[in-house]
Amino acid sequence: MLRSFALLAVSALALAACNDQASTGGGARDQIRVVGSSTVYPFTQLVAEQFVNKNPGMKAPVIESTGTGGGMKLFCAGVGAQHPDIVNASRPMKASEYATCKANGAADVIEAQVGIDGIAFAEAKNGPRIALTTADIYKALAANPGGKPNAAKTWKDVNSALPAIPIQVYGPPSTSGTRDALAELILAKGCEETDAGAKALDSDAFDKRCKAVREDGAYVDAGENDNLIVQKLQANPNALGIFGYSYLEENANKLEGAPINGVAPTYDTIAGGSYPGARPLFIYVKKAHLDAIPGLRQFLAEYAASWGKDGPLVKRGLIAAPDAVLAHSAELLSNATPLDPSTLK
Amino acid sequence: MSDAPVPARQPTDWKTQAMQRRIRRRYAAERRFRLMGLAAIVISAGFLAFLLVTMLGGGLRGFTRTEIALPIDFTKAAMIVDPDVIAGGGDVADRALANAGLPRVTRDAADQAFGPGAERWLSDGAWLSVRDAIKADPALLNKRAVIDVPASTDIDSAAKGDPSPAATTALAKLRGADAIHTGFNTAFLSEADATDPTVVGIWGALKGSLLTMFVTLLLAFPVGVFAALYLEEYAPRNRWTDLIEVSINNLAAVPSIIFGLLGLAVFLNTFHLPRSAPVVGGLTLALMTMPVIVIAGRNAIKSVPPSIRDAALGIGASPIQVVFHHVLPLALPGILTGTIIGMARALGETAPLLMIGMRAFIATPPSGLTDPATVLPVQIFLWSDEVSHGFVEKTSAAIIVLLVVLLTMNGLAIYLRNKFETRW
Repeated sequence: MLRSFALLAVSALALAACNDQASTGGGARDQIRVVGSSTVYPFTQLVAEQFVNKNPGMKAPVIESTGTGGGMKLFCAGVGAQHPDIVNASRPMKASEYATCKANGAADVIEAQVGIDGIAFAEAKNGPRIALTTADIYKALAANPGGKPNAAKTWKDVNSALPAIPIQVYGPPSTSGTRDALAELILAKGCEETDAGAKALDSDAFDKRCKAVREDGAYVDAGENDNLIVQKLQANPNALGIFGYSYLEENANKLEGAPINGVAPTYDTIAGGSYPGARPLFIYVKKAHLDAIPGLRQFLAEYAASWGKDGPLVKRGLIAAPDAVLAHSAELLSNATPLDPSTLK
Repeated sequence: MSDAPVPARQPTDWKTQAMQRRIRRRYAAERRFRLMGLAAIVISAGFLAFLLVTMLGGGLRGFTRTEIALPIDFTKAAMIVDPDVIAGGGDVADRALANAGLPRVTRDAADQAFGPGAERWLSDGAWLSVRDAIKADPALLNKRAVIDVPASTDIDSAAKGDPSPAATTALAKLRGADAIHTGFNTAFLSEADATDPTVVGIWGALKGSLLTMFVTLLLAFPVGVFAALYLEEYAPRNRWTDLIEVSINNLAAVPSIIFGLLGLAVFLNTFHLPRSAPVVGGLTLALMTMPVIVIAGRNAIKSVPPSIRDAALGIGASPIQVVFHHVLPLALPGILTGTIIGMARALGETAPLLMIGMRAFIATPPSGLTDPATVLPVQIFLWSDEVSHGFVEKTSAAIIVLLVVLLTMNGLAIYLRNKFETRW
């Protein structure tokens, strides 16, 4: 018995060794690696699947959902086989992130907008049908509205026209791009509307007063699992949830979108730009990897072929960007034009 | 010393009230204890039954799939593929089929067969079934054929008794044409991850798990067994061995996420091993499993009676002969049981693997130890987060697969123990 064990172990070791040699030889990589936003993840997933089906010889791309911030960190860690080729982002790259990229040798980054997503406020079908404005949301969710700690307990405290139900909002964690979008698109806007002094502040003080989300339990951090928020809303009809529009669309029989400034989150209002919670979705590609990684160019071409109004990505919940934007993105990708760092914030 | 007379002992009077009360109390305590033990068993069995019933209730549906018998007339279809190229096989054939516009042909065929709008009844991956059918039999291209393709998630759940209004009429029409049937989903056991729940499979994750476990076993078993042997048979008893013993016991209790961070820092950032690869997952889990094997191994070796060692040494065996001819074979059943239980724990582990990137979407099964892969528990985690509601039953089905693998491993542990165990 012992002998057969030893034999098995040795032969297995030999097998493992030659396997290793065969696939890592030279340190090159023969499949595409994508990291980043959980909002863009399902779309990149679909493109990857089509890529595999249309290019039978190619290895399947590897797509990890790490959140935009986490993805940028991995993406900007350097150039080479051990670093990802593409990062999904639910917000534009920050200047600080670009600086990291540049310091690590990945200065040439191609930026392409793949579509639009709306951050939707939603409640259960049997909810109170609350109608909010950006100013209401700012006063209810900001940590320091107007520079003072937030004391609002019910929606009525925020705006006397609203019902007296406790403020309870389930939303994404601080590592999420959706959370950044909430701060940029809704809170900052509401802040500028209600607080005339905020604009004069320097950027750090502005962020603190306008973008910080309260942490006393009224805003509940529900993690990256958006299905969980859907379940919580059904269990608690007085609560509101914040997530990407695709989840609202998929759960249309359970949830109702809450209008902001009188505009309900629908495909048309988000695509048309009248819904305040609309944000662009991006992918960033390392130029240096375009020729080094086999199939990367075809993958990007596949992406560009899928993001149109009648394309498969829209069926999956993406909101198509205006044609001019998409044409521009496709051009950037096919010409491999790196982004201009001076446009970043 | 004086011999004081011992007073004659009165026999216990069992009939007195005080004595009767004491006896009753003792019996009551006995009954209470038995009842508590029974209640503990009933509660844990209840939890297990609840888990199994919910999982089987939701998950067995995940093993079936609804298919639509789709008639396609390839002679009239808007596609140009040379049957001879397909018959030739290989990459050329694959590429020809991939670019032949089969998705369009499949959708058109559905509209033609069941009326306009019927293309939405098909799964997004329906054309893959058509592709595979052509690959299996290129002669199809010259005739009209009926091919079974997967139905969309809506039709699928309607056929399984959970209809939405739109799907009900479609279902009635398909049933009328006798073109729909729900059967066992073999693709679920042979395919990898996909974006459409009707064409996903668990094989990619299962294979990833098997490869990872293979690396773990390869590393943790020999190292663990040799460490246990050395500590029991050779190591001197001093402060250092005590320290090592305490460290190993502590290591066995360290939360698994810590091992994930260690794997990230050492294997990925220092050694630059490939991210998401089973080899890194296996190395990380081996670190976690090794202390369990050492502890189980030491206990098994300790339980081999010293008389056997003494007898062997007495007739002139060298220490290494004693170990390999007598101690190890006798201890092996215990070591194997410990190993398999440690491996079963590693199989169900998610947290450390998330840290080293084994949580990616990969549309094909891994072909080697350094290919990117996911494992079963991570696949369950990923599917539970999917948007489409068709993934709910697939998640339960994946859990059933994981449980079956775990039960098999535990069954193997029990079998090995019973088969090789020696009693003294």
